[in-house]
Amino acid sequence: MKRYLETGNFAITEGAILAGCRFFAGYPITPATELAEAMSLRLPQEGGIFIQGEDECAAMHLCIGAALGGYKAMTATSGPGYILYADPYGWAIGCEIPLVVVNSGRVGPVSGITGAPGQGEFYLTRYPTQGGNFETIVLAPNSAQETMYMTVKAFYLAERFRTPVTILADQLITDGFEDISVPENEGEMKEMGFEVYPRRVNNGPVFYPPTDEIDIPPVVLGKNTGALCSDWTPTEEGYDIEEVEAHHKHAYRLIYKVRNHRDLVEDLYEKTHMDDDPDLVVVSFGTPSRVVNTAVKKARAEGLNVGALRLRHIWPFPDELFSTPRKYLCVELNWDGQLVREVQRAAPKDAEVHFTGICGDLPSIADLLETFTKILQGKALERQGWKMEAW
Amino acid sequence: MDYLANKYLRFRKTPSTACTGCGLGINHKAVLQAVYELGLEVEDVVWGTSIGCAGRQTFGMWKGDGFAGTHGRVYAIARGLRLALPPEKKIILTVGDGDAFGIGLLHLIHAARSNADLTVVVNDNLGYMSTGGQYGWTTPLGTRTDSSPYGMYEQNLVREGMDVLGVLQHAGATFLARHVSMDGSRATGSIKKAIQNKGLSLVHMIYPCPTNFGSRELGTRDALSIYNWIRERSAPLEKAGEDTLWATGVYHDASNSRPEFSEDILKNVEKIRRAAAV
Repeated sequence: MKRYLETGNFAITEGAILAGCRFFAGYPITPATELAEAMSLRLPQEGGIFIQGEDECAAMHLCIGAALGGYKAMTATSGPGYILYADPYGWAIGCEIPLVVVNSGRVGPVSGITGAPGQGEFYLTRYPTQGGNFETIVLAPNSAQETMYMTVKAFYLAERFRTPVTILADQLITDGFEDISVPENEGEMKEMGFEVYPRRVNNGPVFYPPTDEIDIPPVVLGKNTGALCSDWTPTEEGYDIEEVEAHHKHAYRLIYKVRNHRDLVEDLYEKTHMDDDPDLVVVSFGTPSRVVNTAVKKARAEGLNVGALRLRHIWPFPDELFSTPRKYLCVELNWDGQLVREVQRAAPKDAEVHFTGICGDLPSIADLLETFTKILQGKALERQGWKMEAW
Repeated sequence: MDYLANKYLRFRKTPSTACTGCGLGINHKAVLQAVYELGLEVEDVVWGTSIGCAGRQTFGMWKGDGFAGTHGRVYAIARGLRLALPPEKKIILTVGDGDAFGIGLLHLIHAARSNADLTVVVNDNLGYMSTGGQYGWTTPLGTRTDSSPYGMYEQNLVREGMDVLGVLQHAGATFLARHVSMDGSRATGSIKKAIQNKGLSLVHMIYPCPTNFGSRELGTRDALSIYNWIRERSAPLEKAGEDTLWATGVYHDASNSRPEFSEDILKNVEKIRRAAAV
């Protein structure tokens, strides 16, 4: 095992290589550029290919083409680029193409603040393309080391579910320097929980089974299997068709192959002080969760009955974690509150769901402690101008 | 076309659902004839298509492996695929004019810049006929469509000095030709050269659309009228006059003159990998 003081981008690059990724296409955008640069340096050393696309749309399509030819492929971008992935994302979902997509979140909308972290793409990762009728898988790391693990996991899930998988990080994770351990052999990989799933070839003629079955080999072109895939609603053999019944079958598969096999994803929760039924549960993902954890531990020391729940995967959404009618507080790196809406939907009617958000910077522990106290005392969260909006 | 259909096309997808009198089938046959005359088998080719009339009608017809990309993006997909396939495997893309010269032009230019070994056959029915008949980027000036009811007055990409083939030549394409559907063996000859070029080749093929273009511009869906209308406006390059809209033949042949995209990249990757292994 080798230790480095390196960034999350380094961790993603090494994780991808360990997972068998040998193709990366991207388009420069802060703060995801460094990941593309790291890939351009490392991939050729491993016999892999780096390509800079003419735009984001091309970058993801290049990955799709390479994946269709049998490569494990990855791309990375930030919010303004992620929205340009909408077109190829839909194609990859519909054609069931395994792919890993990294979104290093920054402040938006549009260009916003290029060099500050944000979590404005919570919902965009759930609905990354038009048309609906699908489910997505999104992982949300909160450290460089975990980012490497999740990159390997993302490739594993992409292959088994035959779908693109998003890693929703933020700028603090991808650009921040941390202590990182990289496994050097299979034994060390196993020890660290890294599991690699091989690329397989669909030998046709069936393009998809109209069931929720997973572990179906993906379409690989060039093997003369007669494989077909397109942007139109497919028949089970892959032909284009304009019939609602065929679409229903295809949509059923795209939704339920993920929902009905959530056990493959669901080891990804982190609970802090949750064993004694806390009065207030603080919910977060990504880097804010690190501050939340410290604040919750501090609150406990001060006698507040608070627990923390960190979502390490955010889609499919873990509704069951919010079945207890109690007080919830969502802490997010945005002003508008996105995770909170989903928690409110999943929580029972008599639960209290609160939100506090800050964009471009992490919340302070002092502010969080004050917020915990107010909620526990039943006081309303005061509006403090633009600083903190009661949701 | 029986021998070509039996050898190369899926029975499930034939006959196509193209409109009566559509010229797309003639273009499609010219491509298959070229493939046949080059002695290629089903397993030698991966066939890509796009959207619109050309995409919908040619998707899945090839017996072998095939795909249809989203609007204008097929060139980026094909470049990615090119990197993954063995160099001897041919990638043939039958696309439409809107896909190639409108929404996909940026990607096409970069396919030309990088000289990716792709054969692009642009089936041009002079506008967006699949969506009902709106003007496109090669719609002749003055002609009426659903979105140019007063006659097309926007500058387009087939005018002197603004020819899209010139744009692609300057972008680095290594084989460029233009034909109309009725060119027969001349068109097949150009497509053969296109397939043989190890680089980005594009053959622009004008074809008649009686249903939309013909009915709007000529006031009739009679197939013969639009066939004659196109024929009267086309001539071989050496015989082209001032009234010629489509001069036909090979515009630019720099076949095999530049390094090919995927071979070049894989060569460099191999060099770096070896250096890293030392």
